[in-house]
Amino acid sequence: MESNLLRVDLTTGEIKTEIIGHEIFERWVGGSGINNWIMWEHFLTHDVNCDPRSPDNIFVFGVGPLAGSGAGSGVKGRITFKSPCYDMFGDSAGGGKFPYMIRFTGYEYIAITGRAPKPVYLHICNDEVALLDASHLWGKDTKETHEILQRDLGDYPSKTHTLSIGQAGENQVGIAGVVSDALRIHARCGGGAVLGSKNLKAIAVQGNGGIKIKRPEGIMKWSDDFRKSLDSNEAVYGFKRRGTLGAVEMYQHIGSHFWRNNQGNKFRGEEITSDNWVKRFHKYSEVCSSDCFIACDAKYKIYGTESEAAEKYIGETFRRPEYLTTGSAAGALDVRDWAEVAHWGKITNDYGIDNQDLSCSISFLMELKEHNLITDDDVANLFGHSQKLEWGNMDDIEALVESIVYQSNPFGKIFGDGPYKGALRYSEMMGQNFMKYAMYGKGGASFTEEMRPFPTWMNNMAVASRGADHLKGLGLIEKFQRRDLSEIYFGGPEAADLSIPDYKGASTAIIENQVALLNSYGVCMFHWMLDPAGYMPESYYGEAYRSITGVEHDTETLMRDGERICNLEKAFNSRVGMRREHDTVCERWMWEPCPEGMYPGKVAADMFEPVLDEYYQWRGWDVRSGLQTRAKLEELDLGKVADVLEEDGALARS
Amino acid sequence: MSAQPQKELVTGETWYNPGDEIPNVGTKLFALRNQCTECNVCEVACSLVHSPDGEINPQLSRIKIDHAPEKPSKVNPDGIGFVAEICHHCGNPPPCAEVCPTDAFYYDPKTQVAVIDQDKCIQCMECVPGCPFDVVFVAPSGELLKCDLCGGDPVCVKACSTRPELLNVGKKYNRMPVLFYEEQSDFNRLSREEPVARDEVGMMQAMLERGEISSGA
Repeated sequence: MESNLLRVDLTTGEIKTEIIGHEIFERWVGGSGINNWIMWEHFLTHDVNCDPRSPDNIFVFGVGPLAGSGAGSGVKGRITFKSPCYDMFGDSAGGGKFPYMIRFTGYEYIAITGRAPKPVYLHICNDEVALLDASHLWGKDTKETHEILQRDLGDYPSKTHTLSIGQAGENQVGIAGVVSDALRIHARCGGGAVLGSKNLKAIAVQGNGGIKIKRPEGIMKWSDDFRKSLDSNEAVYGFKRRGTLGAVEMYQHIGSHFWRNNQGNKFRGEEITSDNWVKRFHKYSEVCSSDCFIACDAKYKIYGTESEAAEKYIGETFRRPEYLTTGSAAGALDVRDWAEVAHWGKITNDYGIDNQDLSCSISFLMELKEHNLITDDDVANLFGHSQKLEWGNMDDIEALVESIVYQSNPFGKIFGDGPYKGALRYSEMMGQNFMKYAMYGKGGASFTEEMRPFPTWMNNMAVASRGADHLKGLGLIEKFQRRDLSEIYFGGPEAADLSIPDYKGASTAIIENQVALLNSYGVCMFHWMLDPAGYMPESYYGEAYRSITGVEHDTETLMRDGERICNLEKAFNSRVGMRREHDTVCERWMWEPCPEGMYPGKVAADMFEPVLDEYYQWRGWDVRSGLQTRAKLEELDLGKVADVLEEDGALARS
Repeated sequence: MSAQPQKELVTGETWYNPGDEIPNVGTKLFALRNQCTECNVCEVACSLVHSPDGEINPQLSRIKIDHAPEKPSKVNPDGIGFVAEICHHCGNPPPCAEVCPTDAFYYDPKTQVAVIDQDKCIQCMECVPGCPFDVVFVAPSGELLKCDLCGGDPVCVKACSTRPELLNVGKKYNRMPVLFYEEQSDFNRLSREEPVARDEVGMMQAMLERGEISSGA
């Protein structure tokens, strides 16, 4: 396996190609692993404590070897950079046709540095690469940008697919995302702000080259078996029809929603708790990536009769809301109309902004107002005019979103970097401590789901390399109480038992390694979750990986590769000053009892510290400081990383 | 980047002389319109099996997924969606073979499908407009691409699994694919049947029912 890396220096306009050799794949697997390595190398020669919005930051795009290779397990591209909103390691996955098409140009990795003197976009057409003027695209949302580029660049040698930023990215809003084909967003960590700061509006790709497979018969057999195993799973049928939206009903049942800034665990409102509107809807297009056997995502069109608010949005088409779109609108913001939930998904995508950070920021302010902790005058000071802050009022919410996207008033500026920094800044401005109402973990916004009863999930939120995150260590052994998996990994059922802290930190460590592998393969998480043999990608996807790349790593070596990738992310964060005290979650989760549902009274503090200790122990890191040890790093063949950390004073003292 | 040469998957070859009686293709490829969701797995699989050295490239596929012109269908009243552009395997001899100036078409004796002999083909492209359905494709290298039914076991049909949430009431299929490899009459019957939605089982509900998870504290 060999791949091409395209290096673009926007300051000088220099474009060059580098080969990523087989030995790099043997060490970093691909996808997010190679992205991490490119970023790590970059910050050996650039200041790691630079302003993430400065030309010194790097923006890496990469797509793993399994993506679009006939494995049928989806295509996920990955962007990696230093996060402007959380000031630490930042990365984000995204689907859409862009990461699929980029493989056929011959370039699977792009590293962008510097800053262009004026807005530009990058056009990659097979091996012809050019930086072109984007002044006609500046100020346009992601949908318009995509349409203009598709029209201008045409259908030869292939359809045009794009990665672009909207107004939020242009205005360097810290929580701005990057949108693939105007439909799928790389939301987390503020990649949009990094591109905005570099004056890069979009990347457009067209390609008709091929992807070489090492052992075609191996991947054909693997994907055949994989599809059969998915097709024989009843859960897949429901998932194909409703996608993650299927979780609404179940979470309502067990009380796992994030209602009104997590003051409650269930949605309110008859309409929103039924899925009638979604059932009426027919899926006419798969809108995520290609090469996917599941195709859970879909489009909607509003006719005006679906619900009370639907007539405001007649003719609107976009992606059907998925769980976290619903969780942020119907949950965090208490929007009770499906058409409005769908509209929320559309505007956040068009502006190119993360709806999790956004909803947590807005709901933070709404809660302060609800409890009369701030007055109407305080609110007017934030907005420059009187502003209603009413739960579930979509017109109000839209005005708040615009304030942040266009940075048009103090509210937009204070909350542009998400709820954690926003709450800190607002507390300081008001001379009061409002941190109790901010929902975050490790500085990153919460994802809008209730997690207090689940110790592994709380641990995920506290230790994830990019801040509060469920996609770096999906704690499913515990949430789905998979005793079978607990037996396999730990020789006993304890990890699936919610009432004790045993093996919860260990589960986080093991699943983080697995997820790092999945992200490096360039595939989607859902295939992993839905496959009956699931949660063991190192054994199962391993055969596909070997057939495609020719990297003959067995299960154990692959798990070690996953661990190496996680350790590099950790090392980056240690370099920017993250220690054990940063590995924590917000006060509400820590101390406020879970109000309703099946697990009332649970707080994260019940098991937080022992689980965190166990996590460090399983990682082989120093329990007191949370820093990595030289012994562990050398065991993973990362001696040079240990040297860098030692120089920065970020290595545990032995 | 130029394209790789393609391999034809045929189970033998037969040449017919002018005036010979050529049997029609019995079992063919069919696609339901507006049901396809553009997952592109068929294109990926087709290009892989036809590549002599393990290369995937949708541009070398003999099936193409495209936006369907708006026209209501049974499952999709909006009429917006995607359509699989596939070779219809016209009555023999098919128009593409008839217009060929070099008689580069031969027949797979197992399926009776007309296949292009790349050595005889001069890439004049007469067969491209010659095809009434625009489904003889041109590779970036100029090579002509025509469906050969993979010698009787089309890989695109095997790969097509995007609609198992719909059931075919005829019960022939326990899932509802978009692509079929069927006798004409069988497909006519199948396509007349209304697809029905399966009982919806949420992901977690199914896991609950299988006892993989429990909702108790």
